[in-house]
Amino acid sequence: MSTTTRPATAGTQAEAQSAKPQSRRIAYVMMRLTGVLLAVLVTGHLVVTHVVTDVAGTDANFIAKRWGSALWVTWDSLMLAAALAHAGAGVWAALDDYARDPVRRRRLRQGLVAGTIALFLFGAYVIAKAVYS
Amino acid sequence: MTLAQSLFLVGLTVVIVVILGFSALVLSSARSNDGGGYLSLVLVKRMIRSPRERAEVNRWAFYLHRITGFLVFGFLALHIVDVSLFSFSHSVYNNVHTLYTTPVMRLFECGLVFAVLFHTLNGLRLLVVDLADLSMASATKALGVVAFLTLGFGVAGCCFVLAPVFS
Repeated sequence: MSTTTRPATAGTQAEAQSAKPQSRRIAYVMMRLTGVLLAVLVTGHLVVTHVVTDVAGTDANFIAKRWGSALWVTWDSLMLAAALAHAGAGVWAALDDYARDPVRRRRLRQGLVAGTIALFLFGAYVIAKAVYS
Repeated sequence: MTLAQSLFLVGLTVVIVVILGFSALVLSSARSNDGGGYLSLVLVKRMIRSPRERAEVNRWAFYLHRITGFLVFGFLALHIVDVSLFSFSHSVYNNVHTLYTTPVMRLFECGLVFAVLFHTLNGLRLLVVDLADLSMASATKALGVVAFLTLGFGVAGCCFVLAPVFS
């Protein structure tokens, strides 16, 4: 059964035109790989910042200590990249359903890609600055 | 309230409004995009009564997956910006961060926990459904497990998040 991610009747014209089969396969695999990665990273992140440490304890000292460790720098960098790739790809797919006009869809996609890349660069800069200062 | 805190709350409000708008869009275009019935009391009753009709729940899980995914993305965008304050000034970061410890924000965090849990568990279910090639009936049963685990872990998580409010 391959209809689990979409209702059976779905598969819009816009979607059919939007991508080649090869790129859709890459998107499918990428979505699931980042998803499994995030299942571990995000759940772990929530446990650390809300269960092990209460959110009141996650102040600047907490971050400074956390980003002094290679494990957490790797964890957060990976989480940032995987989350934005996963979210960007998810909204990209959703746009097929809600922006039927090709011109409007292309503009929204450009905005999505620009916004997602900007968020990644900004987040990566913040982590890098904390590590190298 | 400081300027930075006000700006954070403006950002949070914008994120919440966008999420509500997106949810309304997903649910209102559900019928025109994918057919089927509206989510109504009649439909819910029918889904509970008949095992054959129960597969319809998969469709609503699809919309909930999309909405919770968008919700987490919306919060992520705000969260990247508020954590970035750390690299500009530790005191400004701490000042904004105290908002996270307020009872109202803790309620928002509980909602976030439920959204992340459902999106994670349902996403893993979709992976299993594809890899193990589950039937529609098994996929629907797995969705029941997802709902049960989301509720269980969600309530447990909320206890941790809300505990300081009551102590």
